Amino acid sequence: MTRLQQGTFSLSADLTDAQLKKQIEYTIKKGFAIGIEWTDDPHPRNSYWEMWGLPLFDIPDAATILYEINEARKAHPNVYIKINAFDNTRGVESTALSFIIQRPTFEPGFYLVRQEGKGRNIIYTLQSYAVQSGAEGTRY
Amino acid sequence: MIDLIIGYTAIQSIAYWARKNDLILHLHRAGHSTYTRQKNHGINFRVICKWMRMSGVDHIHAGTVVGKLEGDPSTVKGFYDTLLLPTLKENRAIGLFFDMDWASLRKCLPVASGGIHCGQMHQLVQLLGEDVVLQFGGGTIGHPDGIQSGATANRVALEAMIIARNEGRNYVEEGPEILKKAAKDCRPLQVALDLWKAITFNYASTDTLDFEATPTKASA
Repeated sequence: MTRLQQGTFSLSADLTDAQLKKQIEYTIKKGFAIGIEWTDDPHPRNSYWEMWGLPLFDIPDAATILYEINEARKAHPNVYIKINAFDNTRGVESTALSFIIQRPTFEPGFYLVRQEGKGRNIIYTLQSYAVQSGAEGTRY
Repeated sequence: MIDLIIGYTAIQSIAYWARKNDLILHLHRAGHSTYTRQKNHGINFRVICKWMRMSGVDHIHAGTVVGKLEGDPSTVKGFYDTLLLPTLKENRAIGLFFDMDWASLRKCLPVASGGIHCGQMHQLVQLLGEDVVLQFGGGTIGHPDGIQSGATANRVALEAMIIARNEGRNYVEEGPEILKKAAKDCRPLQVALDLWKAITFNYASTDTLDFEATPTKASA
């Protein structure tokens, strides 16, 4: 059984809602903007997760952000959801905190494709089982 | 990875080459103490940090405070600020003698390495902040259950500390408690804490800031 390890709190147990609220309050205090994103393809190089609405700029209370998170969970109950906290400080302008807040009930993991290249060179590629199992036309 | 001993012009040439070839350039500072610890004609390591940031290296070893190598908290803070901040204010307590504006010059990420282990995580987060590469060498490979367990222990300890810090807890004082609690759900961390709990390197550093008050008309 795989457990996807991505983001700031990748090896810790998933945060409870009470813990999540405290992390959100921290991002508000630091002036970060939270973006909620979801995907069915957890490949480590997939940096284009689907956005849940626009990033939540200038929202001073955690309850609003938690409301949006719960709406996203309701709409997409069995996929990965993460939040990204964006720091717009000059010279940083990047994600400062990012972690997974929901996982599918079953995480199928990845498989390794070996391609025989020139001169018996092996080219390795990692692919998601999650993507393979979706029939044509079902994902988008 | 390169060392200081290859020479400053070569460092800059390699920095250009590394950027062109999609490589991150890590600068290990072997060789520095032959001149940074010379009190009569040396160069302070803070100046080396400044040069290396300008040369375009991506990482540089800049001290750990709590590890096995030299460094007191304020000197190391001077190194870290020189590498990371967009503007520096005069602060002789950390070795900054005048205001410096770095404009948009790229930052250089400090690396903390040498004798650090997961039991010190609260001190590392407090002294070094979050813009730092924490390199646990012996603290990973020396784990009794192997390298993977060592890496897990370090990562779980760091995450527990960041969660606590973000929650606004006094993680420096509660540090040992936070680690103990995290270790309850993480066997590798428990093993690591038991092994290295007594390892500390408390000795007076020979690195000093080396300044005297400038004589002015008022003080004369």
